[in-house]
Amino acid sequence: MRGKRPGPENSEAEIQTNEGIAVNLLAQVLLNGVLLGGLYAIMALGLALVWGVLNIVNLAHGAFIMLGGYLAWYLFTGLGIDPFLGLPITAVAMFVLGYLVQRLLLNLIVRAPMFNTLLITFGIEVVITYVAQLAFSADFRTINPSYAGNNVSLGPVIIPVVRLMAFAAAIVLTFGMWVFLLKTRLGRAIRATAQNLVAARLYGIEPRHLYATTFGIGIGLAGMAGSLYGAVSQINPYIGATLTAKCFAISIIGGLDNPLGVIVGGIVLGVIESLALLYVGATFGDVASFGVLVAVLIVRPSGLLGRTA
Amino acid sequence: MTKSKLSIGATAVVVLGMAAVPWIGSDVVVQFGINTLLLAVLAQSWNIIGGYCGYASFGHSTFYGLGSYGVAIAMAQWNLPFAVGMCLGAVLAVIFAVLLGLPILRLKGHYFAIATLALALAMTAIVSNIAIAGQNIGLVLPPLNNDPLFYELSLALLVAATLTIFWLTKSRFGFGLIAIRENEEAAAVMGVNTTLYKVLAFALSGLFAALAGGIHAYWITFLDPDSAFDIGLNVKMIIMAVFGGPGSILGPVLGAFVLSAISEVLSSEITTVAGLFFGLVVVAAVVLMPRGLADLFRHFRVQGWRYFLNNIKSYSL
Repeated sequence: MRGKRPGPENSEAEIQTNEGIAVNLLAQVLLNGVLLGGLYAIMALGLALVWGVLNIVNLAHGAFIMLGGYLAWYLFTGLGIDPFLGLPITAVAMFVLGYLVQRLLLNLIVRAPMFNTLLITFGIEVVITYVAQLAFSADFRTINPSYAGNNVSLGPVIIPVVRLMAFAAAIVLTFGMWVFLLKTRLGRAIRATAQNLVAARLYGIEPRHLYATTFGIGIGLAGMAGSLYGAVSQINPYIGATLTAKCFAISIIGGLDNPLGVIVGGIVLGVIESLALLYVGATFGDVASFGVLVAVLIVRPSGLLGRTA
Repeated sequence: MTKSKLSIGATAVVVLGMAAVPWIGSDVVVQFGINTLLLAVLAQSWNIIGGYCGYASFGHSTFYGLGSYGVAIAMAQWNLPFAVGMCLGAVLAVIFAVLLGLPILRLKGHYFAIATLALALAMTAIVSNIAIAGQNIGLVLPPLNNDPLFYELSLALLVAATLTIFWLTKSRFGFGLIAIRENEEAAAVMGVNTTLYKVLAFALSGLFAALAGGIHAYWITFLDPDSAFDIGLNVKMIIMAVFGGPGSILGPVLGAFVLSAISEVLSSEITTVAGLFFGLVVVAAVVLMPRGLADLFRHFRVQGWRYFLNNIKSYSL
C-alpha cells in the first residue's frame, strides 16, 4: 500500500474511479429522490382529492399527516404493531376523524368565499398542532421497527429497506385510489360531484354525506402517509406546515384530476429536492421545489398534467 | 353628509387619543401598541390586494421582509440614516412587486395564493445565502431606545395606509380594483386596464408592508431571515383583515386590535393553551361571522342573534 507513485495509468484509473463515484452518487441521489417522491405522492394524494372535489385547500393537511404519524408511533411503542401492518387501523381512525370534521364543521362553510375556507383550515391546523404539543410533547419521535437499519444493495446503490417498503406501500395505495375512483360506485359519485354538484345531486347523491366521506378518505390517506413518514423520518408536532406546502407543490405539478399525476408530481419534487441538496447546497432544497412550483404555475396554471383551463 | 362628517370627526378624535398613549400608558402598553399598530398596517396592506382587488396574497411577508432588510442593510452595512433605509426597503419592495406581479398576477384564486406562499417560503432560503444580508446569522442594527418615537411612526403609517384605502373607495383606481374583484373579464371589457391596476395595487400594498417591516426592524434592532420572512405573519395579517371585514376601510384595523388584544390577554392568563384558543377563535369566527366584524356591527342590531344562524345557513351545504 505504501510508496506507490502515481504513474500515468494509475491517475487514469483514479479519474475513472472518481467518475464512477460521481455516477454512483448521482444514481444514489436519483434513487433517494424517487423513493422520497413516492412518499410525497401519498402525502399529497389526500390534499389533491379534497381540493379537486370539495374545492377546499386544506391547510391542516400536514397536521393530519402528523397526527397519523403519532397514531402509528403509539400503536408501535404501545401495542407493538408494525407501522406497515398498522396502516389499516390508522386509516380507519383518521377516516372517522376526517368524516366528523367535515360533517360537523366544514360543511357549515363549504359555500363561503375562498379566504374563509383557507382560514378555517388554518385554524384547525393551529388547534391540532397545539393539542399535539400538549399531548405528545415537542420531542422528535421515530418509529423504529427491528428491520429499520437493513439495506438492500442494488449494484453500487444502497436502498434502505424501510424507504423501499414505504415507497411500495405509497405506490400501491395511489394505484388503489385510482382504481377506486375509476371503477367503484362511490368513486364515480365523488368524481361526478367534482364535475358538477347540481347534476350529481339530481342523480341522487347526498352531498353532505359524500363531502364528509371524501374528506374522510383524504384524511385517511394523510394518516397512512403519516405512518409511513414516521417510519422513514422523524415526527414532531410542528412538521405540519412544511408538509402542507410540499403537498401543494406536488398537487400543482401533478394536477388535481388524476391520482397518477400526483405520483409523477411527488417523484418530480423528490428528485429535484435531492439534486438541489447535492449540487446547490443544503439550504436550497426548498428553494428548488418552490421555484419549480412557481415556474409550473406561471407556464401552466392548471398543473403540468392537469386539464388546460 | 353630516353623518360622514361625524364619523370623520370621531375617527380623528380616536387617532388623537391613540397618539397620546405614549404619554399616559406604561411601557408595556406602548410596546403592545407598536406591535398591534404594525400588524394593523399589514392587515390594511393586505386589504388593498386581498380585500379590494380580490387577490388573496399569502406571501406578503416577502414585502415585510424586504422592507426590514432594506433598513437593516442600509443602517448596519452602509451606516446610512434610518430614512434612507426606509426608502431603500420601499424601492426594493415596489420593484419586487412589479417584476413578480406581472407573471403571478395572471394566476387566479387558490393558485395565486399558493404561488405567493411559495415565494415567501423561498425568500427565507434565498436571503440566508446573501452575504450583504448577513446570511443566516442576521444583522444587528444600531439601537435606538425610543419607544414613543416608534409608536408615533407606526401610528402615522397606519393613518397613511387607512387614508390610502379611504381614497381607494372614492377614486377611479379603487372602483377599477373592485370591478376586478367582482368580475375580471367584465372589468376588462369595460375598459379597466386590469394588468396595470393589479400590478399597481400589488405594489401599493407591498409598499405599506415594507414600511411596516422597516419600522419593526429598527425597533427590534436585530434581524434574521426566519423572523423577517416569518410565514406565520401572512396568516396573521389575513386573519386580522378577514376577521375585521375585508374590503372595508376600518375593518382590518379593528380586526388587528381585537385579535391582538385577545391573543395578548390569553397569553398572559393561560400561557400554555393560548395558541389553542387563538385557533378556536379563528374557527368560530369563520363559521359565525364570515364577513367580519364590520358586517357584524352593521347587521347585528337588526337581526340579533339570528345573524349567526343566517350566516351558517347562507354558506352551509
